[in-house]
Amino acid sequence: MSDFSNALSVSASALKAQATRLRHVSENISNADTPGYRRKTVSFQSVRDMDTNVENVDVGRVHLDRSDLDKVYDPSHPLADTSGHYEGSNVDLMIEIADAREAQRSYEANLKMFDQTRQMSASLMELLRR
Amino acid sequence: MFTELNVFKLANAMATHAGTRQALVSQNIANADTPGYHARDIKPFSEVFAEDSQPGDMRASRRDHLNGASGQGMDWAVSESDVGTDPNNNSVSIEHEIMKGVEVKRQHDKALAIYKSSMNVLRTSLGRG
Repeated sequence: MSDFSNALSVSASALKAQATRLRHVSENISNADTPGYRRKTVSFQSVRDMDTNVENVDVGRVHLDRSDLDKVYDPSHPLADTSGHYEGSNVDLMIEIADAREAQRSYEANLKMFDQTRQMSASLMELLRR
Repeated sequence: MFTELNVFKLANAMATHAGTRQALVSQNIANADTPGYHARDIKPFSEVFAEDSQPGDMRASRRDHLNGASGQGMDWAVSESDVGTDPNNNSVSIEHEIMKGVEVKRQHDKALAIYKSSMNVLRTSLGRG
């Protein structure tokens, strides 16, 4: 029985981690046109729960992508320098969309496992009826 | 038959095995994107059961002796696999884990069905069917 609660808790921690990742991805996408914005990246790490010996998933610290900002040519822009360029963001929409899709797939897989564990637990409880 | 109800013991071991394996499958899928994580698994029930019935194999002296397993002297050691590792040193294949999940669900349903059916037999023999 504690196996089921372990499974539920590890799935729940992964759902939370994937949702956080998706939140940062949407933050990046919505700031794709913000001048001077650096994209945020999250990395996952597993944290062992000492009581149950289960490796829960946790998002580590949020990091800023230090790569160079995109130079956009627009002389009429208020932030443009003498050469007519201003610094945009370093968000690559292709990467963000791919990341969002991967997060969604992982979220679905975890949700499926959560549901399956719940079903198994429910059918175990069903034995007590009658 | 009534002094030692082996069929119940077996159904119990099978359901517990399915539960333990389900927890590991969930853990693997949860860590599918964690760098450096290696997929874990225990042996299928048929192998565990076949080994348990052989004489002279290693027995646990305490309940938690063999890697914290709760089976009745069965080898439920958790093994790590590192085949097909990703560039971030993660060896979880979601497709494989989902397949294992379905297998586990079926095994659990089977064990519960056996338990229920045996319970019905017992109840009928007591005359309250």
